[in-house]
Amino acid sequence: MFPAEIEHYFRPQSVGEIHKLLANYPEGDATLIAGGQSLMQAIKSRMLRPVCLIDLQDVADLQGIDNANGLTIGAMTRYAVIAGYDEIPVAYAAIRDAASHVGDRQVRNRGTIGGSVCWNYVASCMPTVVLGTNGCLRISGADGEVREVAADDFFFGPFETACGEDEILLSVSWPTPSGKSGSAYKKWGLATDALPVVGMCVSLSLDGGNICNDARVAIAGLADGGQLVTAGGAALLGFDGNPEAIGPVTAAVIDSVECQSDHWASAVYREQLIRNLGAEVIERAYQRATAAQP
Amino acid sequence: MSRTNEVSITVNGERYDETIPNRMLLVDFIREHIGLTGTHVGCTYEGACGACTVHLDGAAVKSCLMLAVQADGHDVTTVEGLANDDGLSPLQQAFNDQHGLQCGYCTAGILMNMTDFLREHPDPSEDEIRRALIGNLCRCTGYVHIVRAVKAAAAVGTK
Repeated sequence: MFPAEIEHYFRPQSVGEIHKLLANYPEGDATLIAGGQSLMQAIKSRMLRPVCLIDLQDVADLQGIDNANGLTIGAMTRYAVIAGYDEIPVAYAAIRDAASHVGDRQVRNRGTIGGSVCWNYVASCMPTVVLGTNGCLRISGADGEVREVAADDFFFGPFETACGEDEILLSVSWPTPSGKSGSAYKKWGLATDALPVVGMCVSLSLDGGNICNDARVAIAGLADGGQLVTAGGAALLGFDGNPEAIGPVTAAVIDSVECQSDHWASAVYREQLIRNLGAEVIERAYQRATAAQP
Repeated sequence: MSRTNEVSITVNGERYDETIPNRMLLVDFIREHIGLTGTHVGCTYEGACGACTVHLDGAAVKSCLMLAVQADGHDVTTVEGLANDDGLSPLQQAFNDQHGLQCGYCTAGILMNMTDFLREHPDPSEDEIRRALIGNLCRCTGYVHIVRAVKAAAAVGTK
């Protein structure tokens, strides 16, 4: 496990500088590196052999968390920073749930939200919570124009996103929560904080009577990668916190996804994980929403 | 210029101005280039074992998951930097007192991770210690004495 030759290494200071560097190389020759906790594995195994590596660590515009108008997390914000940030609105608490349990301490000290969503690994947490909380991805194009892409339109299959080779993910953002909203994420893996065999994200909004009037469910760990489960969100409409109403919701999720059997877990085991984790995150998201300041 | 870069990396307070290949891993810079072999490679550079954990500007990171050029301009601390003229750090002393190692191969990485951890969590519970150790594999001890040593160091205070 040792990287192939890397002709050039650059550490630009601004988004404009990144675009200039990218423009100097044929498509695919230059690779952006964020925290590198997945990318370095691919580079060391020579799955990737970048001619040029562009390190984003010094680009201040990609760093940090702002909760003044909703929530905006810069693409280069590390998991440890997100996990330690206690002013994330409860509507988006699933983001913190996920960031707090990625990998291990060392990985959380380096890995970034932007790196994870752009890598879109088949079994990963951040794409799923960004989908489940309906995040908005701001992308800077080669022409310098910034476009906004909804999570639903950003994630394609595993390792595929709407962010092009000549584009740069700037941030992930969420609007000011409307009314009482809460979210939660939990995964189960083969070891503590390991990759999700199944991960469940739920976000929901409540009306004045604490009845769910909007909800999203997303799942991690299936063969198609992180995905939204529309039927799960629909089944949560009208949910009033009654624990007996949870079973039909997780049943609707199981009915509308295809659980694979692999060396990690059988399909039947995954379905059971959806029931257990689903019940837990639905309850937690609901509790968080009821406690939220409208 | 091509394939190499000039870097200035401070390791344990000493500055190294070097020209190195872009593809050199930080762990190899530390071990092969400047000869500090206390930082170990346990899992053939897969990022799985944590034996190569060092501090980058104070935060525990795996030095096999970084290129050395990425550490340009940064402060690196290795296990050799933990002790000072007054002797072992409280955590090192606790590992000694509590028999927190057997073969010792994983110890350097665990000391670096737990030093950073104790700075953030000066009074951790056993569960917190065990969860914080996930990134470090030990195949001798079963972790019992490691956890005991971290607790003992916390009781003494980390600095």
